[in-house]
Amino acid sequence: MLYVKKLLQALLLFGFFLVGAWLKELLDLPLSGSIIGLLLLLVALTLNIIPLKWVESGAYMFLGVLPLFFIPALIGVVNYGEFFAGKGLLLIPITVISTLMTMAAGGWVSQWLTKQARQKRGTR
Amino acid sequence: MTQIGLSLFFIVLTFVTYKFMARIYARYRAVFLLPILTTTIAIIVLLLTFDISYDTYMLGGKWIDALLGPAVVALAIPLYKQRDLLKNNLIPIIGGIFVGSVTAMSSGILFTQLFGFSKQIVLTFLPKSITTPIAMQITSEIGGIPSLAAVFVIIAGLTGAMFADILYKPFHIDTAIGRGIGLGAASHAIGTSKAIEYGEQDASMSSIAMTLSALFGSFLGPIAAMIFY
Repeated sequence: MLYVKKLLQALLLFGFFLVGAWLKELLDLPLSGSIIGLLLLLVALTLNIIPLKWVESGAYMFLGVLPLFFIPALIGVVNYGEFFAGKGLLLIPITVISTLMTMAAGGWVSQWLTKQARQKRGTR
Repeated sequence: MTQIGLSLFFIVLTFVTYKFMARIYARYRAVFLLPILTTTIAIIVLLLTFDISYDTYMLGGKWIDALLGPAVVALAIPLYKQRDLLKNNLIPIIGGIFVGSVTAMSSGILFTQLFGFSKQIVLTFLPKSITTPIAMQITSEIGGIPSLAAVFVIIAGLTGAMFADILYKPFHIDTAIGRGIGLGAASHAIGTSKAIEYGEQDASMSSIAMTLSALFGSFLGPIAAMIFY
């Protein structure tokens, strides 16, 4: 019974993804179908159109193994061996450094702004 | 018949390898044992050893890939549960993501130009911190190579997932907002899969960062391309 419930919930999530993909095509939106599906589900939950318990256990089934779903795409890197054999190899450390800079900047700024906002609230 | 057999084989292989690698990671917690990395390497080595093409692997792989869509939709749940955190910290969240987006694109353009890469490669490199389908779309719009852009997106994702622990320590990034925004803005959905490890608040922050940086990138990407060329 538990598996039937999870499966039905997974199908509902799949439905949101399909609607998101369809909307993306229809309106030529600058977001992927899956992200539009995420936003639609968030709206549906917020407006109580869909209660949390209808999707919760199915969602955690997906989220528990989230990295798994990236692996087929990751393996596709094998087709680019030649590109990274020459000067292209340099692009790997560049990606790493630029990504670390992004992560540090985004993380640090949001954390700093949070502290500023808290201090402001505190002094009032 | 053999096709169905192969599909099943690669599905089971991927799933079992992942579960095994996740168990090893749970035990030793070392950066280079991150299951997303070790599983990918293990399967690539297997494919190369037995001279199996990526297309053959994808007979099974495409079924796992097809579940990525609903898996990303599922991120709405931690986001919904943590909606108060989002509401109460709207400016820090949007500010951090915006700075992250600008850093990702400007440092990418700067470094690739510095090392003398062609305009086409620079523009392919530009959207690497944005989730794959959007990055490919932005790249094709500004004149890069979409399939190659997807490769940089993947490397950026892995970088975040692997080095978050090491990077956050010296910068004292130790709150759910800081960690989640950093991961989501730099490493999109792959970074978000790492944020889940930190906790539900981190996962929700990373999801919102992944979403907003895709939006920012769609608007800022063409502008950045115009400024530099």
